[in-house]
Amino acid sequence: VKSHYTEDELLLALLGEGGDPGVASHLEECPSCSAVSGELRQALDVVAAWSVPAVPEETWEARRVALMANLRAAPSITLSARLAEGLRGVWSYALENPLPALGYVAAAIAFASERTITVFRLDQILPGTNEVFEILRQVL
Amino acid sequence: MTRLLSDEELVRETLEGREDAFSELYDRYRRQVYATSYRITQSSEEALDATQEVFIKLYRSLSTWNPRKAKFSTWLYRLAANHAIDCWRARRRRAESELVEGAVERDPLRDAFHSPQREVENREKVDEVKRCVDDLPELQKKVFVLRYFQELKLEEIAAIEGCSIGTVKTSLFRGTQAVRRRLARSIDPKAGVQK
Repeated sequence: VKSHYTEDELLLALLGEGGDPGVASHLEECPSCSAVSGELRQALDVVAAWSVPAVPEETWEARRVALMANLRAAPSITLSARLAEGLRGVWSYALENPLPALGYVAAAIAFASERTITVFRLDQILPGTNEVFEILRQVL
Repeated sequence: MTRLLSDEELVRETLEGREDAFSELYDRYRRQVYATSYRITQSSEEALDATQEVFIKLYRSLSTWNPRKAKFSTWLYRLAANHAIDCWRARRRRAESELVEGAVERDPLRDAFHSPQREVENREKVDEVKRCVDDLPELQKKVFVLRYFQELKLEEIAAIEGCSIGTVKTSLFRGTQAVRRRLARSIDPKAGVQK
């Protein structure tokens, strides 16, 4: 049987945050733990009494108008806008670094061609696909 | 009758370019974001600005939210807490460089927003809590605000912070202990000494 609970255990029990289930019955029998728990409860009551000054509705309304104006001036966050932004980034990279960009494009085409032929088994459906693929591989 | 759209649906519609969907998210969460910011920065003006900035950040990073990792609200509160911590840190640096004394600065909007009826009777104690939270290290402050005011579970905080549950528990224990001791000292200066 526990002789006393720590302040931390008593706090968890007060907050209902998975504290020891035996705390409630212990508090009925133990004046010392009961006093600490009472003091904690009083402190939490004072904390709860800390009110926030109310903001008049017209202040909120003015703030909302300012906020929405601010957001309208900001770059759009829609999926298409973000996609366009991404593509613009890729395009400016390609303009600044044309050779590496061409290399990436060629690698992507080669990869995609090979995957297309092997995944969809075009080599088995279309006659001569293997030869075309071989030529493509040699060219790239 | 119009159906209330879920956070996930509103996020998707915002990403498809519907401005009113984002406006709806703003209406849904502006108060909680403001409250989180306020409790960390402890200034209404700064919290309002921080709320605005959090929603701009949110808009820009909306496509990175993963619903399988965290609820939208949890993700947003973390964003708000992190941003408020940045604001608090910047203000603290400014205050240090200007050699300004005094822990919590007077809030110019406070009187305008506060009605006397809403004043808590133990205001001195609440002020003590505010000073104590202001002095907490960053992680403790964040965990304290997210757990006690946004009512996130410790597991949720650990998940969004990318740290262990043990770290979060320790931060919460230390923060709460500091507040409890400070309150005890404010009543009886001899109290609050480590057991």
